[in-house]
Parts: sequence; structure tokens; C-alpha cells
Amino acid sequence: MCERYGAAKTCFTYIDSGLPRISLHCRVNSEAVNAFVDPSMTLLSFLRKELKLFGVKEGCGEGECGACTIIMNGLAVNSCMVLAVEAEGAAITTVEGLSPDGGLSILQQEFMNHDALQCGFCTPGMLMSARALLNRNPDPTEAEAKEAIAGNFCRCTGYVPIIAAILSAAKLEKEARAK
Amino acid sequence: MLSRFDYVKPQTLEEALAYLAENAGTKILAGGTDLMVMLRRNAQMPEHILDIKSIPETRRLDYKPQEGLFIGASINVNEVAGAAMTREKYPALAQAANALASYQIRNRATLVGNICNASPGADLSGPLLVYDAKVHVANSQGQQTVAIHEFFTGVKKTVLQPVDIVIGVSLPDVDAADAVFLKQARIRGHDLGIVGVAARLTAAKEFRIAMSAVAPTPIRLTRMEEQLKDRPLTPELAAWAGEEAAKSIRPISDVRSSAEYRRHIAGVLVKRALSQLLAAGGI
Ligand SMILES: Cc1cc2nc3c(=O)[nH]c(=O)nc-3n(C[C@H](O)[C@H](O)[C@H](O)COP(=O)(O)OP(=O)(O)OC[C@H]3O[C@@H](n4cnc5c(N)ncnc54)[C@H](O)[C@@H]3O)c2cc1C
Ligand code: FES
Ligand code: FES
Repeated sequence: MCERYGAAKTCFTYIDSGLPRISLHCRVNSEAVNAFVDPSMTLLSFLRKELKLFGVKEGCGEGECGACTIIMNGLAVNSCMVLAVEAEGAAITTVEGLSPDGGLSILQQEFMNHDALQCGFCTPGMLMSARALLNRNPDPTEAEAKEAIAGNFCRCTGYVPIIAAILSAAKLEKEARAK
Repeated sequence: MLSRFDYVKPQTLEEALAYLAENAGTKILAGGTDLMVMLRRNAQMPEHILDIKSIPETRRLDYKPQEGLFIGASINVNEVAGAAMTREKYPALAQAANALASYQIRNRATLVGNICNASPGADLSGPLLVYDAKVHVANSQGQQTVAIHEFFTGVKKTVLQPVDIVIGVSLPDVDAADAVFLKQARIRGHDLGIVGVAARLTAAKEFRIAMSAVAPTPIRLTRMEEQLKDRPLTPELAAWAGEEAAKSIRPISDVRSSAEYRRHIAGVLVKRALSQLLAAGGI
């Protein structure tokens, strides 16, 4: 049953289960988080509703679109497919953690320079998949970049500028490291 | 909302098995990539969720000469695909692992979860069938192994009881690395296959051919394997096998494909798989 769309359609709303909460200790964007969470809350809901990290987007909620992608213990994962309680002890990075100094990281700047976003809904997920790729493979081929974002849907920009931005960021990051 | 459930994460196998024995309505959670979708759709409404990822036995991923490869139930699909031993010795499994879903999903999804979910189209089932894998099952009464070809019993059904945990899957040691996995899907990197084909030529030059998404369970084409036995692998034999395979299956139509297209592409993939084995130096 869906309040917004009427009885004919079902849509997903987060409702507290009322069960005893479970303690959760993790690091999110380098800050310690100590909380008590509902056992049936997803990590996506936790990041958005409790930590107010609205850069983490909910598209499909079922692992298809990649809008909710975060980096958890070094790996890109769909936060809609993870229970918040599963993040116990984890180190998590969201798009908010990509530019800790308040400016823009090279990767973010390259997305802008290449017009790699329009509505921007897919962008945080794209950036996190791209970040995870560049962390494990600083010099990816075009094919590797495509593979890394195959789980991220963009419905308005198209993928050409996004791939160009990722490859360009890889090059600039390499130059920055060499300095 | 997700259905209401408690969450438990036992640190030992004994604890986990005791919990399962005492609490009916418990569902096992590995990577959660199938389970979370079911919970969200209220297609499953368990009272307890038991996370197995802290159980040491499920975290094993090792290869021993003579014994083979053991893949624990908490090992994710990217770990399977990335392991040097999988790529060198069990290429069909590595190829299937790389073809499953997206990179993010593969960081969570496990090989064992893929077979326990028992989708007819489970990508990793075919390679496990052609390697004669064994499924290691435990419950509070003890442990046993089940041959992979006896594991699937129907659509989304396996021999597993609610009190059982799969600890891992083992693949026997192999001499020859001649094997391929091919998958036809609507979109690359995101979908269950319309058809999946795994084919292997053993050191004794016997064929093993398995298919997913063409029957209620993943299947081995044992009759055709018999017919191919002792025949030299030629382009003509590959073409014949493709036609036979297409004739022998009874696929269904669904959202991904019509039965006709499935049957056609199954034949194409079998032919292509054998051609690749031939090109790789098969007899
Ligand atoms: C967007 C998307 C795309 C996908 N694409 C593909 C694809 O291309 N190919 C494909 O084959 N699959 C695909 N899948 C399905 C899924 O990712 C796989 O089946 C995955 O391998 C399941 O593993 P898991 O660890 O996530 O399982 P879970 O969701 O944790 O568990 C699956 C089921 O198995 C049971 N289970 C898990 N572990 C055990 C155990 N050790 N003992 C007993 N029971 C257990 C669970 O209780 C549950 O019923 C896709 C899923 C999504 C969301
Ligand atoms: S919201 Fe998580 S993948 Fe779409
Ligand atoms: S920029 Fe709109 S979906 Fe990608």
C-alpha cells in the first residue's frame, strides 16, 4: 500500500520495526559513529535518515541502479542491499567524504569539466564507483572504467562524458602524485 | 518496510547451528543480494536473520593439490573471480563469476548464496556442475556433503532444510584447465542470463556440459556428454552438439526471453563453447 500514489501501487517506506535496537559502531567519512539502530533498517536508510547524508541516493532500492553506491571497507557496494547493523566495525565513505577539505576532489572537478552530469541523481553513486575503481586500479583502461560503472544507471547524461571524466581524473591524479 | 526481524551474528558455527535448531522462522543472510530484495517485497517474512559472515569456517578460500578448491559461504563473487587458482584451474567458474550482476553486487553476493537461492538461471551453477562440485552442509546433528547435481530440486528449491547451513563448496582438483562459460543476457553486467552454458573437457577427454535458465533447475546434459564421448572435437561435432542441445531442452517463455529464442541461443552457445574448447587446443 502506498500513501503517496494511492492504494493501487505499492511503494517502499521505512517504518520502525519496534524491535530492540542493536548497537552500531563504525566510521563514516572518517568520523566515529556510535548509534543504536533498528535491526531491519538498511544502511541506505541509516545514512540518509540518521546521519543526514543526503548525497546517498535511493533509486530502485533493489540493487539495480547504483544510485546508493558507497565504499565500505574499501569496496563499492549498494547500500540499499546492506543492513545498517551489518556495518558494525566498518569504514564507510559516502560522496560527502570525497572532498574532506571542503573543495572539490580531482575526480569531482573532472565530472564538472566534462559535463558528466545533468540532473545529478546518479552522480554520487557514479563518483563512488569511480573512486573505488581508481583506488584499486589507478590507471584503468576504458573497458575497465565501463565495467566499474556497469551497475550505475544514468538516465540523462549518457555514459560517454562520465567515462571521459573518470579516465581524465586518473591521468590528473597520476600527475598530482608524481609531483 | 522490510519485515520485522531480529538480527543475530554468531561468531561460531556451533552457536549458529544451535540458534537455527531452536528458532524456527530463521533465514540465513550471506551477501543479502537476493534476500534483501525478498524482504523489501515482503516475499519472505522471517522472524530472525542469521548473518553467517563471522563464522570462521565460511571464510575459507583455499586450494590444495589433490584436494582441490574450497570456497567458503562468506566468500564473495569478486573474491572467487579474482583468486589466482580460480583463473588458472577453473576458468569456467572465473568467467561466470565475472559475468554475474554488477561490480558492486559482486562485492557482496556470495557463490554459496547464488546456489542456495536456487534460481534456474543462477550463473555459478553451471560451472559447479561441470566441475562435479560438492556442497558441504552442516546442522546441529552433524555435517555431510551433497553432490551439486543432487542439490537443486526445483525452481528456488534445494535439498536444504531450514536448520541447515552450507559451509562452503569444494571443487575437486583438475589437471586440464579446458573449460568455458558463456552467457546470453539482455544487458551485459546486469541481468540474470537468458541462457548460460558451461562446457569442460576433462583430462580424460570427456565432455561436461551444463546449462542454466533452460529448465526448472540448472542441468547437466549427461546424455549428450555420452554421445560426444570418444569423438574427436571438430567444428562439425561442435555444430552437431549445438543442434542436439537445442532439441533436448524444454525452456519456458518469461520476461527475459521467449522459449523459441532461448532454445535457439542455447544451441548457438553450446556450439560456440565447444568451438572455443577446440580453438584452445581440445581434441
Ligand atoms: C541487481 C541484481 C542483479 C543480479 N544479477 C545476477 C546475475 O547476473 N546472475 C546471477 O546468477 N545472479 C544475479 N543476482 C542474484 C544474486 O546476486 C546472486 O544469486 C547472489 O550470488 C546471491 O548471494 P548472496 O550471498 O547475496 O545471497 P543471500 O541473499 O544472502 O542469500 C540467498 C539465499 O540463500 C540462502 N543462503 C545464503 N547463504 C546460505 C548458506 N550458507 N547456507 C544456507 N542458505 C544460505 C539465504 O537464506 C537466501 O535464501 C542479481 C541480484 C541483483 C540484486
Ligand atoms: S537504490 Fe540501491 S541500487 Fe538502486
Ligand atoms: S545525470 Fe541524471 S541520471 Fe545521471
